[in-house]
Amino acid sequence: MSAHPVYLLDAANTPGAHRLAKYRERGGYAALEQVLKRPIAPADVIATVKASGLRGRGGAGFPTGLKWGFMPDPDKDPRPRYLAVNADESEPGTCKDRVLMERDPHGLIEGSLIAAYAMRVSTVYVYIRGEYRGSWKRMQEALEEARAARLVGARILGSDFSCEVHLHPGAGAYICGEETGLMESLEGKRGHPRPKPPFPATSGLWGNPTTVNNVETLHNVPFIVNRGDAWFRSMGTPASTGNFLCGISGHVERPGVYELPFGVSAREILERYAGGVWKGRRLKAWIPGGSSTGFLPASDIDVPMDHDSLKARGSMFGTAAMVILDETACVVRASWVIARFYDHESCGQCSQCREGTQWLSQIFRRIEEGRGQAVDVETLASLARGMAPGKTICALSDAAAIPTLAVIRHFRDEIEEHVRLGRCPFGAQGSDSNASASLLAGAH
Amino acid sequence: MTRIIIDGREVEADPRQPLVAACHAHGAEVPVYCYHPGLSPVGSCRICQVEVRLGDLPPRVVVACRTPVTEGMVVDTDSEKAHAVRRECLEFLLKNHPLDCPICDKAGECDLQDFAYAEGQARGRTLEPRRELDKRKPLGDVIVLDEERCILCSRCVRFFEEVTEKPQLTVADLGSRSVIATFMDRPLEGNYQGNIADLCPVGALTLKAFRFQARVWNLVKMAGTCAECSRGCAVSVEVLRGGEVKRFRPRHDPEVNGWWMCDTGRFAFEPVNRLDRVAGARVRGARGLVPVPVEDALAVLADALAVHAGVVFIASPFLTVEEGAAFRDLARTRGAGPLFLSPPANGLADDLLHTGDPCPNRRGLTELGFEAVDAAAALELLRAAPAAVLAGERVVELAGREGLAALPTALRLTVLDAYEVDVPSLDVLVGLPTHVERTGTWINVDGVRRPLSAVKSPPPGARPLVALLADLPLARAAVRGGATR
Repeated sequence: MSAHPVYLLDAANTPGAHRLAKYRERGGYAALEQVLKRPIAPADVIATVKASGLRGRGGAGFPTGLKWGFMPDPDKDPRPRYLAVNADESEPGTCKDRVLMERDPHGLIEGSLIAAYAMRVSTVYVYIRGEYRGSWKRMQEALEEARAARLVGARILGSDFSCEVHLHPGAGAYICGEETGLMESLEGKRGHPRPKPPFPATSGLWGNPTTVNNVETLHNVPFIVNRGDAWFRSMGTPASTGNFLCGISGHVERPGVYELPFGVSAREILERYAGGVWKGRRLKAWIPGGSSTGFLPASDIDVPMDHDSLKARGSMFGTAAMVILDETACVVRASWVIARFYDHESCGQCSQCREGTQWLSQIFRRIEEGRGQAVDVETLASLARGMAPGKTICALSDAAAIPTLAVIRHFRDEIEEHVRLGRCPFGAQGSDSNASASLLAGAH
Repeated sequence: MTRIIIDGREVEADPRQPLVAACHAHGAEVPVYCYHPGLSPVGSCRICQVEVRLGDLPPRVVVACRTPVTEGMVVDTDSEKAHAVRRECLEFLLKNHPLDCPICDKAGECDLQDFAYAEGQARGRTLEPRRELDKRKPLGDVIVLDEERCILCSRCVRFFEEVTEKPQLTVADLGSRSVIATFMDRPLEGNYQGNIADLCPVGALTLKAFRFQARVWNLVKMAGTCAECSRGCAVSVEVLRGGEVKRFRPRHDPEVNGWWMCDTGRFAFEPVNRLDRVAGARVRGARGLVPVPVEDALAVLADALAVHAGVVFIASPFLTVEEGAAFRDLARTRGAGPLFLSPPANGLADDLLHTGDPCPNRRGLTELGFEAVDAAAALELLRAAPAAVLAGERVVELAGREGLAALPTALRLTVLDAYEVDVPSLDVLVGLPTHVERTGTWINVDGVRRPLSAVKSPPPGARPLVALLADLPLARAAVRGGATR
């Protein structure tokens, strides 16, 4: 059904797509071979990725080539260096990396190896979300296949490049998806994010230079190497190049993961790909990129899905995990569900986050349960402003504050109506609004 | 050193230390909870906000404990923006704090109270119930944890990780459910547990020994030196109105103990709070020891010194350098070499502070020419001597009460000690002040000289040894006698 070129999920639905043989049939490991045999100098690989405009797909959208360039010169800095693959996909609503790991695990291994070569890293850790048993199994099988084929380990494909890849399971904490929390967890400690600076490229795993990249980001890399940076730039927008994976869920007819070029409108994703709002209902609110990007009103549904356009709407591209709420859904209840999630997942180091996430959750709950007070909206807003931006060690506090401010900005009337009525106008029995809530809650 | 500007003043700052250390070193008041100069900075409480300008970059409000000192940095610790973030932070910290200050032992020296007051954050907005947790959870024999008061600064966790290097505490669970805990609720171990009560910026960790003992504003605090080993840790001696020592707490002394002290020293109240103190002087008469004016007792001692040859002089290792010099000079006038009682190592030595040597001024007395004797050798000398002088706090205990009781009655024994004693050979007993009741100097195991101060009053009539020896009436005659012999 796609009018645009797809590459990430091109083969995802082919039976056996996850096997090495099938991967090779569709040109897999050709990029790695090209890089190692031609060979292409590591600096040139980084230059190509820089030129492609690839931005990280883990939520922040940081330029990948630039990030790789932060790694110190190994000739001047002989410390061990690491690539950590962030496969701890936990942002509520997000389910794209899972598809990639289950359907195309070799794509991740190849992308990781090219990244490792470019940054002259010889050890890769793949930190896989603990609940992702399927991803874990597929990655493990793929790694065994790759190792048997001399694609991982010593002297890969007979070259001078050696690289080991280790899989590491998470244990169910959202915060371990934060890059420094992930590194602490990899080191065997509690997943408490570290203050930055120092940044991971200077002092990451065990104090050594480390780069953390998202799964989808690395999946893009072999394609960029094979087809060139100009090809990559031909898709998407000038500032957000290539395709992205959009996981759309909630009150839609066809929830799922779709591969789309940056700049496609949210309406097109909703209506053309996800089959529109379910049950013939009207759209009420939607989240563009995972729970931390906050609700936008139906009137914003024509916004193009790219970093700049969403930023201009006061939101974020995030992980492109769209969540759709229909007209029967209660945004107060949904906000409570989101707030409760961040309260549950705050690591507890920073005062604002530890206490603030709990406080937000308690106030949303009170309002939803009919015990709201007139002052609550102002309290919510000022608490959220006290939690962000950049007031804490990591961005979890921001992730809780942004949806709070967003719901006040766009749905203040509905919150105030709850307070005025002393009950939820959508009724406690509203099964669909409960469905929306449990959908978000079930995301982790 | 790096040159930066703090609140309009150009200062030199140590680039190895975080910005907050420079601010504190130059008198700027920046509140801290998780930061402690003796521990690694983690930047988690977020209270130490200051506004920083660097070059042409726009000013930023940052946490001073995780901001490196950079040449040319301009710091405003009193900026309205920084205060605003501190106020927000305090509101969050107080969200679940029980505010049971009226029954909290920390009240009056609580950083949460002080900074909330300083930042003018007095209004609470929360309508929600506060966390209900364990309010009296023993963490072993020394510490009680009040989980509700805890603000999760993690200083206590880092203390065991970084200072004793035997991690025992952790933050258990996550987010707003976090609590400080030991593994499987095991009791804390080791001789340094008390430090976490000092480190705790709120009343979450309290000493069992200090719970509900005193309001801290009623304590008189003076600088002193710990008497329990030859490290001589710098301490704050804290005395309640009536004169009872309620706390010893470490004072920061980079040359001696850093920020810490051991529990042996911390809880050594018994010697300084004992009630069996010698007030004034007593002399043996026909019906036993009878109280006499101190001058009369000194006259009897002087007589003994004048009459007998071969008088034995034994000091306590608690004598100060000043007292030691006076006692040595007296001994030498009688042709005697000065000795001090040196008990064996007590087995408490560790890698951190405790030396295991119970003689606080061993080094000072040794430098003065004293020789160490153990209790058995001292008693041997006493049994053979016609007369003897035992001088100094705890000298009776160190020689051994039983051993002293068994000495021949022919011995004319003079004891100058802080504590009561009555043995048959005792001729003269004169009261002394303890180490928290007199001034003077001890020299620690590393040769560092540290002062004692008189925080509390000794019993009436107890006078420092230096003053007593100066008043010894026959001292001058004895000097002459010794010179002509």
